[in-house]
Amino acid sequence: MFERRLYYHIDWALVGALLALCALGVAMIYSTTADPTRAMSRMYITQLYAIVLGLGAMVFALTLDYRTFTDKSHLIYIGLLALLIYVLFLGNVQMGARRWIGVGGFNLQPSEFAKVGVALVLAKFFGENRGAPTMSDLAIGGVLTLIPFALVAREPDLGTAVTLLPVFLAVAYLAGMKMRILGILFLALLLAAPIAWKFALKDYQKSRVTTFLDPSLDAKGAGYQQIQARITVGSGGLTGKGFKQGTQGQLRFLPVAHNDFIFSVLAEEQGFAGVLVALGLYLFVILRTLDAARLAKDRLGSYLVLGVLASFTFQVVYNVTMSAGLAPVKGLTLPLMSYGGSSMIATLAGFGLVLNVRMRRFTN
Amino acid sequence: MAAHEDRRRITIRLSLLQYVLTVVFSILAVSFWVLQVVEHAKFEEMAENNHQRTLALRAPRGIVFDRHLQPLVLNRRSYSISIVREHTKDLNRTVTMLASVLGMEESAVRQIVERHRREPTYRPIVIVQDATLAQVAAVTARRLDFELPDVVVEQVPTRRYPDTLAAHLFGYVGEVSDRDVSANDALRSGDIVGQSGIEKIYNAHLMGEDGARRVVVNSVGREIRTLEEAPPTEGKRLQLTVDYDVQKAIEDSFDQLGFNGAAVVLDPANGDVLGFTSRPTYDPNAFAAGIDRVTWASLTSDEDRPLNDRAIQGRYSPGSTFKMAVATAALEEGVITPDFKVHCGGSASFYGRPFKCWKKGGHGTMDLRHAIEQSCNVYFYTIGNMTGIEKIHKWATLLGLGERSGIDLPNEVQGLVPSPEWKQQYRKEKWYAGETVSVSIGQGSVSVTPVSMAVYAATLANGGTRVTPHLLKAIDDGTGWKDVPPPAAKSKAPLDPEKLQAIRDGLWMVVNQAGTGHNAQIKGYDVSGKTGTAQVISNQGKERAGKTDKDLRDNGWFVFFAPRDKPEIAGVVFLEHGVHGSNAALVAHHLMDTFFAKKEGRPLPPKPEFKANLVP
Repeated sequence: MFERRLYYHIDWALVGALLALCALGVAMIYSTTADPTRAMSRMYITQLYAIVLGLGAMVFALTLDYRTFTDKSHLIYIGLLALLIYVLFLGNVQMGARRWIGVGGFNLQPSEFAKVGVALVLAKFFGENRGAPTMSDLAIGGVLTLIPFALVAREPDLGTAVTLLPVFLAVAYLAGMKMRILGILFLALLLAAPIAWKFALKDYQKSRVTTFLDPSLDAKGAGYQQIQARITVGSGGLTGKGFKQGTQGQLRFLPVAHNDFIFSVLAEEQGFAGVLVALGLYLFVILRTLDAARLAKDRLGSYLVLGVLASFTFQVVYNVTMSAGLAPVKGLTLPLMSYGGSSMIATLAGFGLVLNVRMRRFTN
Repeated sequence: MAAHEDRRRITIRLSLLQYVLTVVFSILAVSFWVLQVVEHAKFEEMAENNHQRTLALRAPRGIVFDRHLQPLVLNRRSYSISIVREHTKDLNRTVTMLASVLGMEESAVRQIVERHRREPTYRPIVIVQDATLAQVAAVTARRLDFELPDVVVEQVPTRRYPDTLAAHLFGYVGEVSDRDVSANDALRSGDIVGQSGIEKIYNAHLMGEDGARRVVVNSVGREIRTLEEAPPTEGKRLQLTVDYDVQKAIEDSFDQLGFNGAAVVLDPANGDVLGFTSRPTYDPNAFAAGIDRVTWASLTSDEDRPLNDRAIQGRYSPGSTFKMAVATAALEEGVITPDFKVHCGGSASFYGRPFKCWKKGGHGTMDLRHAIEQSCNVYFYTIGNMTGIEKIHKWATLLGLGERSGIDLPNEVQGLVPSPEWKQQYRKEKWYAGETVSVSIGQGSVSVTPVSMAVYAATLANGGTRVTPHLLKAIDDGTGWKDVPPPAAKSKAPLDPEKLQAIRDGLWMVVNQAGTGHNAQIKGYDVSGKTGTAQVISNQGKERAGKTDKDLRDNGWFVFFAPRDKPEIAGVVFLEHGVHGSNAALVAHHLMDTFFAKKEGRPLPPKPEFKANLVP
């Protein structure tokens, strides 16, 4: 149970950086949506609630020893799969995808929690073995990842599904997977791309890629968001247009500014200075978390921390790149800053586990 | 051992990740620096173009008034509906939807769009020029639903001509041609400019200056707020010399008669144009908001050529109205005196050829006054032959014939009073003395425009000053009316008052005694004038063409001024195929009656009823 001396080992610097990013997110959500003439003007309040709930989840995630969670990880994992299957058949449909479960007025997105679940189960699985993982270990770990991947991808929510892959890769990497195999995996992905292009991708997904390569191909359609993202970021300049003064986000040239493109709004209104602050905070969070992985008293702890960090980092890097119009537009949110309750709660719960591992580095 | 190895591996691999991620974030930071600092100016401009629009605020053209400040040409509001392709996401969808909203054929809309496809996308393509309120309402509603963000409704001030009178005088407006845009810096593509008449000549005064409004719009094109606004400046107001009631009297008379033709009425003292018409006419309102192809085609293919301004562009044989020019030449050159008598036996022989008088039995012996009153051909054959073509040419020119009048209207043509030099130069032939005899009664190669005939009448009326007819009396640029001085007279003929009086006496007798102009008589006003009836075809030709549908009736002229001794009004009425000059005198009567009634504050005469006095 929670011992008093553990309190002194909580990484307050990390907590501070996380809260700073949350605050930045709320400010940007306020800037783009707080408009008394519009219905969604109270979104920042909802986001504040989500942060409070997320902090609760975080406290819960560090109260118990992380090994308690990993010991129960198979149950958590099975529970998550059940939820994902439930969503697939009985979830709420929004914008053509079945992703949400209604829980007392809130919409819960189980796929966000799948990231933590997969991190837990993979940490446990690889943590139990000593030495480099064998091919069959990798295969089992891969299957454990691909089951939720498939379920989420079916919703369809390919973006969130893809964030599960880094979890597997990161844990396997840290567990000692041979770099050669990592290389082969990348090569296989590269070879699979044209096949996926032909058979797996839907037309709208293909057009996102082609317009990324040349946005002017479809300047009013799929390329529109990308061009607008670049304009938004570029027009921000060194110091930005000022809080609530951004024309691109405020006048809705940039779609879903409070969500997928919140970083673009930050870049527009706070300029390159604001971008540096936010990037610095994210990098700090990431390096601090890597530190926690290094300090962990056992392999399991290291794997868990890196598993949590993997999807987080992947999403941050991809979203920031996309925000500048430098990557194809994909419905991937920016963790901690984008509007969204499930993501906020799952992310903070994940960092609860990171704090957990770090502060219990001296316990037995 | 294995645990130690694990620890070592984990530390190494974590450090590797640390470096990789630090590099990744550095790359991101550099990317943002490039976008936000290096390329900032470019993207800032793009962002501005994104959310700022400059809308033209069309300036109304100046209002045109008559000489008593009664408005003649006004403006009304009209609405145009256009597509701005710059904001179009799917042109096909916009075309389909707009066509159904406007109740138009989709192919028609597509055709318009196709015609302007090469123009820059920010320039609106006007789909409907003068939209109905229902169309405006339908489009506006769709815009609010964000369904047609690329369609704009523009309010355009449009010309309104309340009565369709003096169409040729006002002219019409239309979109500026590309050639004019490149020739004149003040004009921009899409501007509405005068294409003929007053609208064209005084376009620079009338046009005004468009304003502009810079607005912030959101991503669906809805205006959020105005950044700045420069209101349009209305064009200058013009006061014309034209008198509405005189003009109306002329138009009513032509409506009554049903003939084509022209009339020009002047103030003989200074050349003020009091009335001006050309028939057949057209409705300048049809051009105001852009003329449709069907109307344009029917106007241009009409054999009567309604767009032609007969008053300044029609050249006709003057017939007997030319006789005063011959008389002036003979008198001023001292060839005859007013008492010079000639015997008319119905015809006379010159250079071995017989020349007929119109009166078969002849007029007997008569002096100049009676020769004018009776319009005796033999008298004028004789004195014309005595005077010679050079002198006739000289004096006819001094009286304003065969010259451009210099009226402030575009594309005036020049008539012709022949001379031996002219014949040598253009026909490469010698002048035959026999031609002079024909010219003496206004036949042969003499041709005149109605406006030059009006100047001729005014010059005889005012004692020899060849005034320049003009339409502009004053300009108001917003700071009050400023008079425009009348243009200088073209020439001043040194006419001997006594000799001129003899001609005037003859003209007075035409109207008030036994002449052909009694239709123009107004008791107490000493109307003086001369009819002219000019064949459009020779007698032999008439027989040959008699079986065709061609209108072969003679043209009718009436030149006039009044009162004889202190003229206040002078002018000409010309009726194409009007049968006889006395029919033209009917028009002159009504317009002069109206003029004097208005001047003296009497009730204006009612609309005329000519049937009884008409020569069929």
